Amino acid sequence: MKLKITFKIGMLITLVILSIFSLFLDNYGLTFLQDGVIISSIESTSQLYQDGLRQDMHITKINNIEIKNLEDYQEAIKPFYELKENQTIRTEIKVRQLKESIIGLYGTELINDLRINNIPSSKLKTGLDLRGGARAFIEIKGEYNENDVNDVISVLEERLNAYGLTDLRIYKIQTSGQEILIGIEIAGSTPEQLESLIEEQGFFEAKIANKTVFIGGDQDITHVARTGEQAIVYNCRDSQEESYCDFQFQITLSTNAADKFAEITKDLPTIDNCNPVNQGCYLTEEIVFYIDGINTSSLKIAGSLKGRAETTISITGSESGQTQQDAAENTRSEMKRLQTILITGSLPQELEIVKIDRISPNLSENFTKQILKAGLFAIIAITIFTFLRYRKIKTSLALVTVSFSELLMILGIAALINWNLDLPSIAGIIAAIGTGIDSQIIIMDESRNKEESLKEQIKKALFIITTAFATTLVALLPLTGALGFLGIGATSAGLLKGFAITTLIGITIGVLISRPAFADIVKQLEE
Amino acid sequence: MKFALWYNKNYKKLLILSVILILASIIYLITFSIQNDSIIHKDVSLTGGVAYTIETNYSINELNQKLAEKYPDFSTQSISDGSGNQIQIIVTVQEEDSEKIQEVLEEILEIKLTEDNSSIESTSSNISEDFFKQLIISIILAFFWMAAVVFLIFAKGHKIKLIVIFINILLAIYLGNFFLSINSIVSFLILGLFTIGLAYIYIKNSIPSVAVILSAFADITLTLAVVNLLGMKISTAGIVAFLMLIGYSVDTDILLTTRVLNKKNTLNKEMFGALKTGLTMSATTIIAVSTALIIVIPFASVLNQIFTILLIGLGFDLFSTWITNASILKWHIEKTK
Repeated sequence: MKLKITFKIGMLITLVILSIFSLFLDNYGLTFLQDGVIISSIESTSQLYQDGLRQDMHITKINNIEIKNLEDYQEAIKPFYELKENQTIRTEIKVRQLKESIIGLYGTELINDLRINNIPSSKLKTGLDLRGGARAFIEIKGEYNENDVNDVISVLEERLNAYGLTDLRIYKIQTSGQEILIGIEIAGSTPEQLESLIEEQGFFEAKIANKTVFIGGDQDITHVARTGEQAIVYNCRDSQEESYCDFQFQITLSTNAADKFAEITKDLPTIDNCNPVNQGCYLTEEIVFYIDGINTSSLKIAGSLKGRAETTISITGSESGQTQQDAAENTRSEMKRLQTILITGSLPQELEIVKIDRISPNLSENFTKQILKAGLFAIIAITIFTFLRYRKIKTSLALVTVSFSELLMILGIAALINWNLDLPSIAGIIAAIGTGIDSQIIIMDESRNKEESLKEQIKKALFIITTAFATTLVALLPLTGALGFLGIGATSAGLLKGFAITTLIGITIGVLISRPAFADIVKQLEE
Repeated sequence: MKFALWYNKNYKKLLILSVILILASIIYLITFSIQNDSIIHKDVSLTGGVAYTIETNYSINELNQKLAEKYPDFSTQSISDGSGNQIQIIVTVQEEDSEKIQEVLEEILEIKLTEDNSSIESTSSNISEDFFKQLIISIILAFFWMAAVVFLIFAKGHKIKLIVIFINILLAIYLGNFFLSINSIVSFLILGLFTIGLAYIYIKNSIPSVAVILSAFADITLTLAVVNLLGMKISTAGIVAFLMLIGYSVDTDILLTTRVLNKKNTLNKEMFGALKTGLTMSATTIIAVSTALIIVIPFASVLNQIFTILLIGLGFDLFSTWITNASILKWHIEKTK
């Protein structure tokens, strides 16, 4: 028997093909055939960034080493691990998205400033619980209005970006108490100080003799050096128990702030009344840096600066660690934290983290594979069962094929709308496919009943299916957050929205596309 | 057709069995709520606190002993792979103990906890209370709206349908803005009034709808009772399973009711036909869910809980559809003949 392609069946086939495109096709061909590695994040201060490298670009070749996957990449950057702090190698990086290779002298930034991954085999994005990362819910303390919330969000976004976290999502959620929470999701590995980056109000003040000279933010500070010689970690040394390193970076003050510096230092005496122009002669008062009212470090002021409108200031500090390497790393991240605060200024409101989850990328990686396996085995089990039950290989195959195309369509739409598939979303897909199979069984059983005309039977089956669809639809509505205007389900929906969305996509595709098509197939098989 | 004869004689007695079971589980759930101050055992995502999932083969008994010296209230859970070797431990402590726990764990396990070997979930108790409240509201509303749709489909009369829609919109407004924000006894009293009002309309106008709704209700109460008896700690995602259950359990009920109300054959024959289809539906779902559960169980994710609750629910759905719903429906049809 030959299957006649009716309009409904044609529709199903077309949508499945479109879904496959949506899942696998991008500007460079099919995703699973592309060699190379992908840049999952890049520091925006990096030399590599200035030379044109961006997030999501594919690296295919470094210095004549073809890069097909992560192992090749590790091999290619091995020489960079042996470099000292300021050494570089002439490097040629071939990028799929750029016509010409990037050529430059690069050092350890190739290791420190890039996060690299294998190119994903499809355009599907997985959620935090499947690929690892951090999620935080933040509450604003005290009174605030909608505008304050937006201010906080923009400062947070700037701060996290300035720190080098670019792959992030910030959104608002309403609690049932009409408070507004801010949700932040950061994919991949996250820095240790994530909490302080978010929670710390970060009000930076530089004072001399208890008078404020300048504060953090672009009002007083026009530039913060973050690369090259103006921002360095140096003088790493072992002490009795721990190791220490120092850091130093330059900032440029606005003329206003510089004038204030001159004004305050003008009348300050020097230590032992030494001659200000002499080397090693300092003022009696130091410049003291406070973050949120806490003294973090202080600097001596050279006598030569007395009364001068100095615009360039060095900020220094030091950090410790178990080994020299640890100390260097801690020092670098402390310097980064300070730079971030100086650039972005303070948060307009005090914040409190009310929920923070960090999901280890390692723990989640295996899990995704297991889920795929679970899905596959479930499909095999159902195929065997329906065959045993109906003893008709064609019908059973039709059932499984239609369910499988339904899965493809759900995933296709998820890829199209950039939906992040997290565990609740996967539960939703399972629910939708399960409902789909149930509905198909109703169609099959109704059409086998020979006492009414086939058309009548299938009409009845589709009525049952539509009714079941309607009940599931209203049951899921509260979780989507669509009823947020009634004060229902908005916060919780932040966590479980995925479930509601994928189930809704699935059952809607089911009732509009795959069920009618399946009914047509069954009609032909039964006639 | 021995079974048909037996069924004709005894179906009302079967209904007594369902009434007893439903009442028993309601009484159990009420006592449970009074004892535990909540209708479920909540996990850390709903109580607030910190949970560490650590990759380690450290002995869980030893860890328990050492933690007991420092914390009055904590819980641990060992996760094993397919062959029974422990791969992870989950440690949960209260919010007020959360500050030092990382250091304490690092000291006991003698490893540094990094993102390579551990995951952390931390929730403040205020926000988790709010999650719980909103999820409960979502479930209640989901159930009422599902019931309304069932009524709208199987009942007759435009006026009464409009009234039902209106009441359900009012209910949503009430749930979203006032429920549990005002005194909780008053909250439940008002919810009770809505329930009685709607139940009265449903019973007066469409017994078949009532049968469907009651069967879904029975399914959820029985499942919840068993989940509590098993001592399962429910997470935010576990609550999703109950929503899935509302959807699944209603499917077979609608199938049965449609078949019976549009019957072309004898009542028993239609019911039996529906039973065959319904059992196939439940069987595929149960097979698929248990296959998936076996595979994902070593990973201690929210999916385990969702699948387990679903399996229990699907089991009870067989009972509530084919005993409770079927008997009420048969009684109703026989009476109106």
